[in-house]
Amino acid sequence: MGTTDDATDWQRHANRRLATAREFVAETETDALAAGLVGVLGLLGGFVGFLVTSQYTSVAVAAFLAAVGYGWVRHRELTARAVTLAMTVSTSLILVLILAFIVLEALPALRYESGELLGVSVPGLRMFTGTDWNPATNPKRFSMLPMIHGTVLVTIVATLVAGPLGVAAALFLSEIAPPRVREFVKPGVEILAGIPSIVYGFLGFAILGPWVSDQFDLVGQGTYLFVGIVVGLMALPTVVSVAEDAIDSVPESMKSGSLAMGTTDWQTMTAITIPAAFSGVSAAVLLGVGRAIGETMAATVMLRNEPTIAEPLYNVFYGFETLTSVIANKYGSATGLQESALFVAGIVLFVSVLALSIGSQLIEAHMHRKLGGSE
Amino acid sequence: MTGATETGVVRGRASTAKTVAAAAVGLSALLFALALAAGFELLSLTGRLAGVPTIPLLGGLLVTLGAAVIAFGAGSRLELVETDPSRSAGLVAGTLFTGIWFVVTGLVASQTLGLGTVGWLAAASLGGAAAFAVTALPREDVGSTVPAGALAGSVGLVMLTGGIGPDWSWSPAGFSDAQSVTVFPRVVIPIAVAFCALVVGWAAAKAYGGFGARGRHLGAYLLIYLNAGSIIAVLFVLVAFVFAKGIDPVMAGVTVGLGVGPTTTLAVDLVIPFADVRLFGLSYDVVWPVSWPFVMNGASILNDVNGVWPAIVGTIWLVVGAVALAVPLGVGSAIFLTEYAERGRFTQVVEVATNALWSTPSIVFGLFGAAFLLPRFTPTPKKSLLAGMITLGFMLLPLVLITAREAMLSVPDEYRDASAALGVSKWQTVRSVVLPAAMPGVVTGVILGVGRIAGETAPLILTMGGGTFVTVDQAASVVDSFQLTLSPPFVTNPELTQATTALPYQLYQLILANVGQSSGIENMDTFRWGTALVLLVVVLSFYAIGIATRQYFRRKLDYE
Amino acid sequence: MSNARHDAATDGSTDTGTATDTGTDVDTGTDADDDTDGHTATGRQHGTTTTGETDERIRAEWTDYEFAGDVALSVEDLDVYYGDEQALRGVSLDVPAESVTALIGPSGCGKSTFLRCLNRMNDRISSARVEGSVELDGEEIYQDAADLVALRKRVGMVFQSPNPFPKSIRDNVSYGPRKHGDVDTGLLSRLLGRDDEETEAELVERCLRNAALWDEVNDRLDDNALGLSGGQQQRLCIARCLAVDPDVILMDEPASALDPIATAKIEDLIEDLAEEYTVVVVTHNMQQAARISDQTAVFLTGGRLVEYDDTDKIFENPESQRVEDYVTGKFG
Ligand SMILES: Nc1ncnc2c1ncn2[C@@H]1O[C@H](COP(=O)(O)OP(=O)(O)OP(=O)(O)O)[C@@H](O)[C@H]1O
Ligand SMILES: [Mg+2]
Repeated sequence: MGTTDDATDWQRHANRRLATAREFVAETETDALAAGLVGVLGLLGGFVGFLVTSQYTSVAVAAFLAAVGYGWVRHRELTARAVTLAMTVSTSLILVLILAFIVLEALPALRYESGELLGVSVPGLRMFTGTDWNPATNPKRFSMLPMIHGTVLVTIVATLVAGPLGVAAALFLSEIAPPRVREFVKPGVEILAGIPSIVYGFLGFAILGPWVSDQFDLVGQGTYLFVGIVVGLMALPTVVSVAEDAIDSVPESMKSGSLAMGTTDWQTMTAITIPAAFSGVSAAVLLGVGRAIGETMAATVMLRNEPTIAEPLYNVFYGFETLTSVIANKYGSATGLQESALFVAGIVLFVSVLALSIGSQLIEAHMHRKLGGSE
Repeated sequence: MTGATETGVVRGRASTAKTVAAAAVGLSALLFALALAAGFELLSLTGRLAGVPTIPLLGGLLVTLGAAVIAFGAGSRLELVETDPSRSAGLVAGTLFTGIWFVVTGLVASQTLGLGTVGWLAAASLGGAAAFAVTALPREDVGSTVPAGALAGSVGLVMLTGGIGPDWSWSPAGFSDAQSVTVFPRVVIPIAVAFCALVVGWAAAKAYGGFGARGRHLGAYLLIYLNAGSIIAVLFVLVAFVFAKGIDPVMAGVTVGLGVGPTTTLAVDLVIPFADVRLFGLSYDVVWPVSWPFVMNGASILNDVNGVWPAIVGTIWLVVGAVALAVPLGVGSAIFLTEYAERGRFTQVVEVATNALWSTPSIVFGLFGAAFLLPRFTPTPKKSLLAGMITLGFMLLPLVLITAREAMLSVPDEYRDASAALGVSKWQTVRSVVLPAAMPGVVTGVILGVGRIAGETAPLILTMGGGTFVTVDQAASVVDSFQLTLSPPFVTNPELTQATTALPYQLYQLILANVGQSSGIENMDTFRWGTALVLLVVVLSFYAIGIATRQYFRRKLDYE
Repeated sequence: MSNARHDAATDGSTDTGTATDTGTDVDTGTDADDDTDGHTATGRQHGTTTTGETDERIRAEWTDYEFAGDVALSVEDLDVYYGDEQALRGVSLDVPAESVTALIGPSGCGKSTFLRCLNRMNDRISSARVEGSVELDGEEIYQDAADLVALRKRVGMVFQSPNPFPKSIRDNVSYGPRKHGDVDTGLLSRLLGRDDEETEAELVERCLRNAALWDEVNDRLDDNALGLSGGQQQRLCIARCLAVDPDVILMDEPASALDPIATAKIEDLIEDLAEEYTVVVVTHNMQQAARISDQTAVFLTGGRLVEYDDTDKIFENPESQRVEDYVTGKFG
């Protein structure tokens, strides 16, 4: 494909779009078009007004509402379509807005911590090469590495807890449990997801933390190991429910086909069900990892809240800070560059979880294609 | 007929050997229970059990257990016991035992014998390789019993001979003083015993099933059932513990009777806006027949019992605000995606975006709320109830959208076609056919989502704020505070733009705060537990209602 | 794991004598009427059945088939319920060993249900409840001590719609023997140099040849089986079943997705199989049943066995008017 081809392709596409638009304008009544125009302008105006904190925001919103009201009475079908479309677009916009705003707020810190790489100045580079977080000294340093180290340790422990146990529980629920037991265990797992994270954190802080310090004769309170275990418990329901869906979606005919040859249930699970559901199950584990990375309150109240790196690196008995806890702890008291640095932590979190989410969705889509072909 | 005489379809009767295997499974269960008891300090390791010092007793039991499985394996290998083993215990078992024995020999070599890195690595590799050879090379009956039995046996021997006595302790070398760790018997013995019991229990269950396919099946099921049981047990213990700790402070001073409770004033005021003319007023005082101080009071020096009423009010307003924002947006988007949009690039992008939004960490929503909302409601950025509502609304949105979409997709197309065939317009079809049919799913999703955001703390730290000890009159009174003005933005409500508290946030603040004396809170700890219990009850009620609703609608569908 | 209940011992012999020659009515005419009403009420479609079926009583001697050889499967008074709906009513029949038994009848009359009872695959359906007795070589399979794994090794099954595993063709065929430990090609045994690759290759070739599939797939044994055509998949499932070397093979419309040539191959295969195996085959195709089977059992609406006899007898001179109508194509 040459570039010229692409260009003409694109042009043709645009022309077609234009034609459809023209047709739409021609076919639609004038008052509906006018109301639509007012509505769109009102909505846009409202959004812009909100961004610049104009006091006329409400006027624009009122114009939008009036246009919708008029449309609702005169052209209900068209209005319903337009309004739901507007809702869909704004929902998707939130993701973009989140990224835009945290990047915007993070810019000062990123610029401050620029570093040289191959002669090019890379914003924020020093945050990932240095190891110091020190807002008080001169020069101030805002390294992300201590927090990344903490998040990685917690996530590894949590995944070791939530992954195997979650997949085993999902197998139990969808393949093994008698209906009566399932009716009792399934809501149980869901309720586990319902317990607020601050309650887990409180139990960890008030009961587990002191107990662990005493048992292992630690200096102070707060360990990555037990934060990881608690976070793993919190990520467990996510893994269980997504993995269970994946295992459930393996067609019964495949499983019966195996059982009818005289294999045990366990052989059928390991040889047919799990391989067929493998992508779904790994998507479940990825989502669980995402939950563990983003879990805030348990880490915040159970850790020591000093951005340092544990020594030796695998010393999981001392827990200092994670990406989430540093934000929860320092936001509010932090100002200026430090506050901006917290937004950098937010970006790291957001991007890694976003990648995990998209990755697991791709894997899941792959699985549906694969199983879809078999039916 | 061919093969008519070979295997029957009826399982063989119990034999003595099977009884041994069953007894080994039982003993493993007993040891597991004893290890748990020791871990929770219900069983003293320095004391005696049945007249024998605990540690040697546990060691002896482990040795017995190990010997029993090995004996069973040997008996099976010598064809004294009728089993149906595979040729090898397999790669998975081989790898696991390799790992276990690598760690065990490595620890012994480096810590007990004091070998250097090269030395312990060599020893550990040797141990691992030996374990692999013993597991994977011989027939399954030997391969799955000997390494397991040997593990239990050697751990048991160490305990039996006093290698790990009550006074033993171990600090791994190479940890600095400030970050040092010491392991005592009270930790290591429960863990080691429980682990050995698990491994040997698995091997014994395999033996009970006669190895082979059936044996593996039983071994795996044992572990899976145990896992499911533990999850439920953990859940039960968590909830029961919070109840046990919190129930006293929450129920303190509850009285029931006419006229004991606080007074609520029901008032109707008809006022002409902007003109301050009161046309019509009516007010009536209602005295509640219940007084429940922890729920109805705030925190104040004057109170007998301090309570969390302002936090409850805050949580209620948060939920109301978030639902008001997220439900229309989410359901509307779901309608567009399922009913209007053609499946294609656009719907795919929206789907990916909503799923990503769903897994975005709550603290990131908090950051976003702080950057996007706070500077826009008040001249100087200030944490406020409104910002909290909207932030939580954003969090609720993807959940509502996903569940609503699922519910709408599961409405059969025939319904839509039937409606369309009657010449009804699209929107009418959606309103009168799709929405009612999808309602149960949407409602359930919303309730479960509300449960989730009602317990959310992190975004509130960044967007809503609020004090640690809040008095009753600081509770948000949103309804009374709407004001109409003549200039834009025409409607204002100072309560909405003010910081207030909510249950999860208050619990967080209480955890951070160390002294409560100034607010008349004498025992911080009970106040915390009480708050935690109220929060748990509020959130779990949403879940219970949500799950029950779903079950109810499912039943109804099943019987239709 | 299963909800299937079985009261074999109690139900087996008390209700209706199986070998009575007295010609007592097993069921009354009113019963048959009830069925018709019941089905209309549940909205199931059976238009021709109501108009086409004559109202007649089923006589016990119609299903009382006597033969010389061994009995492979002996079914006594089998009732199957799905929830509240009864899918099989008091079916009793003996399947002779090393022969082909065809099951025919209109759609929804319970043929697949009956077949699934013979290797207890109905245990997988949580709403299904089985009462009655099935004996395999004289051993009751509906008893608590029954070993489903051993049973299904001996009673293989080919399903109504092809259900290959999402694995290679070779792995599909060798799946059963591998799981039963007869063939070992795992990574470990390959490392140790004691794998059965040759045995496996022979087995795969033999089974694929038997299932008339070898010529089409011998150059792509490592391709995913889901890439085969529907008919090829079905033959693969037959090969997969043969690889386990069962005593009894249950086939549920094995040729429904095949073209005439493949169908002919399968039919030949079934006839060959009958020299060593006991084959029970469900088919909708009268000619096929007439061609390949030694005896035929006719089920009619309501889950009843109406007539069971030599295939020639059933197709040339059935006792029941309804069976005659059915095999001559007047309804069904
Ligand atoms: N899993 C099931 N759950 C509930 N009812 C079932 C189930 N399977 C079969 N049935 C019912 O049992 C009756 C017999 O079904 P079956 O599949 O045995 O018929 P069949 O004779 O094999 O029909 P076909 O020739 O169409 O395959 C039918 O009324 C059917 O609706
Ligand atoms: Mg059928």
